[in-house]
Amino acid sequence: MRVDWVELRDFRNHRHTELTDLPEGLVLVVGANGEGKTTLLEAIAFLGLLASPRTSVTEPLVRRGAQDAYVRGEVRGVQGRTLVEVHIPMRGAVRAQLDRSPVRRRRDVRRRVRVVFAGPDDLSVVLGEPAIRRAFLDEAIRTLWPLKEGVITAYERVLRQRNRLLKEWEGRGTPPGMEAWDAELASRGATLTRLRAAAAEALAAEAARAFAQVAGYALEVRYAPSVEGEPLEERFLLRLSERREDELARRTTLVGPHRDDLRLVVREFGARSFASHGEAWVAAVCLRLGLATAVEAEVGEAPITLLDDPFSALDPTRRRRLAEGLSRRGQVFVSAADRELVPDGAPAVLAVRAGEVRREGA
Amino acid sequence: MYEGPIQDLIDELSRLPGIGPKSAQRLAFHLVKAPPEEAKRLAEAILAAKERISFCVECGNVAEGERCRICRDPGRDPTVLCVVEEPKDAATIEKAGVIKGRYHVLGGAISPLDGIGPEDLRVQELLERVERDHVAEVIIATNPNLEGNATAMYVAGLLKPLGVRVTRLASGLPVGGDLEYADEVTLSQALEGRREM
Repeated sequence: MRVDWVELRDFRNHRHTELTDLPEGLVLVVGANGEGKTTLLEAIAFLGLLASPRTSVTEPLVRRGAQDAYVRGEVRGVQGRTLVEVHIPMRGAVRAQLDRSPVRRRRDVRRRVRVVFAGPDDLSVVLGEPAIRRAFLDEAIRTLWPLKEGVITAYERVLRQRNRLLKEWEGRGTPPGMEAWDAELASRGATLTRLRAAAAEALAAEAARAFAQVAGYALEVRYAPSVEGEPLEERFLLRLSERREDELARRTTLVGPHRDDLRLVVREFGARSFASHGEAWVAAVCLRLGLATAVEAEVGEAPITLLDDPFSALDPTRRRRLAEGLSRRGQVFVSAADRELVPDGAPAVLAVRAGEVRREGA
Repeated sequence: MYEGPIQDLIDELSRLPGIGPKSAQRLAFHLVKAPPEEAKRLAEAILAAKERISFCVECGNVAEGERCRICRDPGRDPTVLCVVEEPKDAATIEKAGVIKGRYHVLGGAISPLDGIGPEDLRVQELLERVERDHVAEVIIATNPNLEGNATAMYVAGLLKPLGVRVTRLASGLPVGGDLEYADEVTLSQALEGRREM
């Protein structure tokens, strides 16, 4: 699918930006630091996510001096045309309309507009704590199967309930009602585990292939669940009973998807020992490209892919290889500070300066 | 924000469930502007409800007197109990007229986040009632959410050893709904509860 046109009003430093006839294929967004390239990508991401991939608060999204920001745009895909209009107030909830009707559930937009965003923060997916990789897996689930979002939120809730029960319990032995929460944790946790395994499986092969193409050697992407084996619900209950004493002593849940990890193994070493910043960054981008390919396999067309500053951490060879891998991926927006970093051949180049966009080339 | 009685009224109203500060303000000004008799009627209705309405000693539902209308009705089967969280749930099921037995109101659902444990619910009363009235079937109709499910599971665990049949309302697709808009959790529950045709 592709964004046909997009309009930003009072969105960060863009007072009013309107881009029309955006083509399929690579769209380069060039400009110096702080001029508003990333913001353009962020605004396009809003059309599918109804949220910023960079921040969870709305205040920085509204241009100084304005009260509200707006992002509007139209996406074309195999399901036809989709008009998304997002109103971002300085305070309060983001409101959106899908084809002129109010959006009640975010997943209804995600089903129509699939967006994969990779930016500098993604380096922490590779180098940071397991929690960041779990969040990546859950984002993959939401992108691949938007209607399954409820599985993630249901697990988060049962975990909070169970943790509170363990935390507040002052008596001896097991708190009353614990079996009921064990059963809920096992059933919802098993569902989430299966879903994460499916998401990891869907993106792993392509992430590895893309990584090998750029870096020249293998990357293994492997889901490492807290509980595995079949039947999964029974394994869950067994593990819970094994850890019962520990859980009572430490007053928190020690078994379940909140302790999963996604292992990234490069040349026989754990991902934390990635040799260089550049190598880790290639892995981060390739995870997102793997997700984009998985989305394409799932829905029959490539998502809108947004890569914020993917080239600057790379040497010229890897830069060229990564750029080569970006063709035939549908519409891919790529931002870069220096045009010299960007290989030739993009059908559209957007030059951003002080929140204003000028179109160059074809 | 305001002075004296109007602010007191806003404060009291905003303590009610589902009423935020803005709604409270709107309600307060509506009442102040309304004719005196209207405000008086509301005040009296609140007081009367508070004084005269009590909770049924049997089922825990709202009642005028010691027992509620349903527990007093000899035509209702005492060996079938429908367990619900709140009186409003009993009223909803009653409106549909699908339960020939009686109700048992737990008074909520287990939710550690809200500080509600099994001991805060009328579970002991349920067990006593089941034994005393030789109840044959307990239909658990707690909400089909996380807390309702956990409560159902807890209650079922206590009832099973008594030899009583324990059932739970089915979860799945709403009648008259559209498959396309069902979320995955609902769909998978509906699939689990599918029936032979």
